[in-house]
Amino acid sequence: MQDFEDFVALRSQALLRTAYLLCGGDKGAAEDILQDVLMGMYGKWRRIKTSPEAYARKALANTAANRWRRRSRKPEAPFEQAVTPTTTGHEQQVVDADSVVRALAQLPNKMRAVLVLRFFDDLSEADTARTLGCGLGTVKSQTSRGLARMRELMGEQVLTWN
Amino acid sequence: MELKDAMEAATADLDVRPGFVGDVMTGARRRHTRRLLAVTAVVALLAGVTTGVVLTRPSPDQPTTGDARLTAATSGDLSGDSEFIEQTLTVWNNAQKQGWRSYDKVTDFTAPSNVFWAANTPSGPAALVAQAVRINDQPESHTVVGLVAGGALVQREVDYGQQAGLFRFGPDNSTYVALGLGSEVYWSVNPVRGPDRRLTRTWQRAEMGPGGVAVVTAKPSERPVFVRGSSPPAAGDFTREPLRGEFDSRPERAFVPHPGLGWSGQECASDAPSGVTWPGMKPASPQSDLQKAALLDYLVAWDVTGDWSVCAWLPDGRYAMVFEAYGEVYGGIYRQDGAFNAHLLGGPTVKGSPVVLVLPDGQGTLVADFEARIGPQERPHAWLAPAGTKEVPVRHGDATKVVQLG
Repeated sequence: MQDFEDFVALRSQALLRTAYLLCGGDKGAAEDILQDVLMGMYGKWRRIKTSPEAYARKALANTAANRWRRRSRKPEAPFEQAVTPTTTGHEQQVVDADSVVRALAQLPNKMRAVLVLRFFDDLSEADTARTLGCGLGTVKSQTSRGLARMRELMGEQVLTWN
Repeated sequence: MELKDAMEAATADLDVRPGFVGDVMTGARRRHTRRLLAVTAVVALLAGVTTGVVLTRPSPDQPTTGDARLTAATSGDLSGDSEFIEQTLTVWNNAQKQGWRSYDKVTDFTAPSNVFWAANTPSGPAALVAQAVRINDQPESHTVVGLVAGGALVQREVDYGQQAGLFRFGPDNSTYVALGLGSEVYWSVNPVRGPDRRLTRTWQRAEMGPGGVAVVTAKPSERPVFVRGSSPPAAGDFTREPLRGEFDSRPERAFVPHPGLGWSGQECASDAPSGVTWPGMKPASPQSDLQKAALLDYLVAWDVTGDWSVCAWLPDGRYAMVFEAYGEVYGGIYRQDGAFNAHLLGGPTVKGSPVVLVLPDGQGTLVADFEARIGPQERPHAWLAPAGTKEVPVRHGDATKVVQLG
């Protein structure tokens, strides 16, 4: 299935970015769940009627949530162990990049997923609700609380959203 | 800083590990096979219980795929030459460890091989052989098809579900053997660039001989491109999926020099404006954007593009991506939201000399030279010289040369 292989080759990087944020900055876990999701898509490839990318994002969000549910029974690895990619360029950008991932890592899993899907993947509230299998009201409340929590966690840094 | 920008900054340099795609494909095939086997086993068990038959032996030992080529009579004008066919099989069976890609770990080569096509070609007698094999000790079998010519194995291709079915051989690599696989094959050489700088190609149908095999002669310097389908691409269509034979893949050896200027990676000629990051969800794809506009030819072989690229944020807020293909400089200009805005066509690249590309709309001149210090601030590797700059110093160690800008 060349088209599936092309999809993996072309979209893995973008999907890894979503997975990385969904996993609160744990690159190893992000690669693991991305690989797991893509492997699962292979057998269903011909039957996926929606956009493959949308399908993958939905599966990533759910796999990340399940992973965090499983991990919540064990002691959480300190964030310092998570691999943060090297961000080149302006010093401030490094600080911002680091702190936004740190803040995301401290959110509950569903709240983090809502923020990532809404603000990183640009999904609408309705699409975010469909992706996470929850109600529109949940997405709205999680978004509101999540943004407020991000402001608290990111301290002095100015964080805005549209 | 906007939350989205912060998230994009946090992930801007994130990429999958080398070999990730291969790992996904291998794992996916393995998992899919396990599922199929599990379903098959359940169905077989139910059938056995229903009919009262006790299943004792699950499967035959030798690999088999049911591919018609494994048992088809030999076609082609050498089909009656039993000596040539026998020689071909001897070459094939003696070369069990040759001609595979590194991920094709063939662990069962015991099934009989079959010559399903043998014919004279402009580069001498050639034959196509098919055999069912097992890979990585997995229970499922795959058909491998290969070309034998000149008394040697030329190439093999494992059918993982979609084959290229294209082989190349001959003293000057000018003879192509293409499998129809139930469709037509169209081929084209020598793209023509018109006065509007757009490319066109003339396509012709490959004449299918017996067994659905076509033989085509084209020199590599003519940039032959093959596609399979029910109709040929339009003259200005550079978006069809071309056939990529195994010979088009990067060679598997310890050291492979980077094609083009000899360096790899992406260097940026200017910093992003404060608070702006690379559009993470809409990665720029200048190659496909240029192909959609018929400005860039089909990119088939691994070495027709350079491994390097240069990016630059422009004074007006757009950004440029520049790369090398067929020894020339190409690029695209994008808006901040990732939308393609304009194309860039530069001149030929010269190894050892800086890349110099004047950007439109007074956005400056891009100068790039790997491991050099460029411009008055000695920016490493690449610098976007502001519009009006007349000359740019490019320093390698103690040696500085001055590039004159028009």
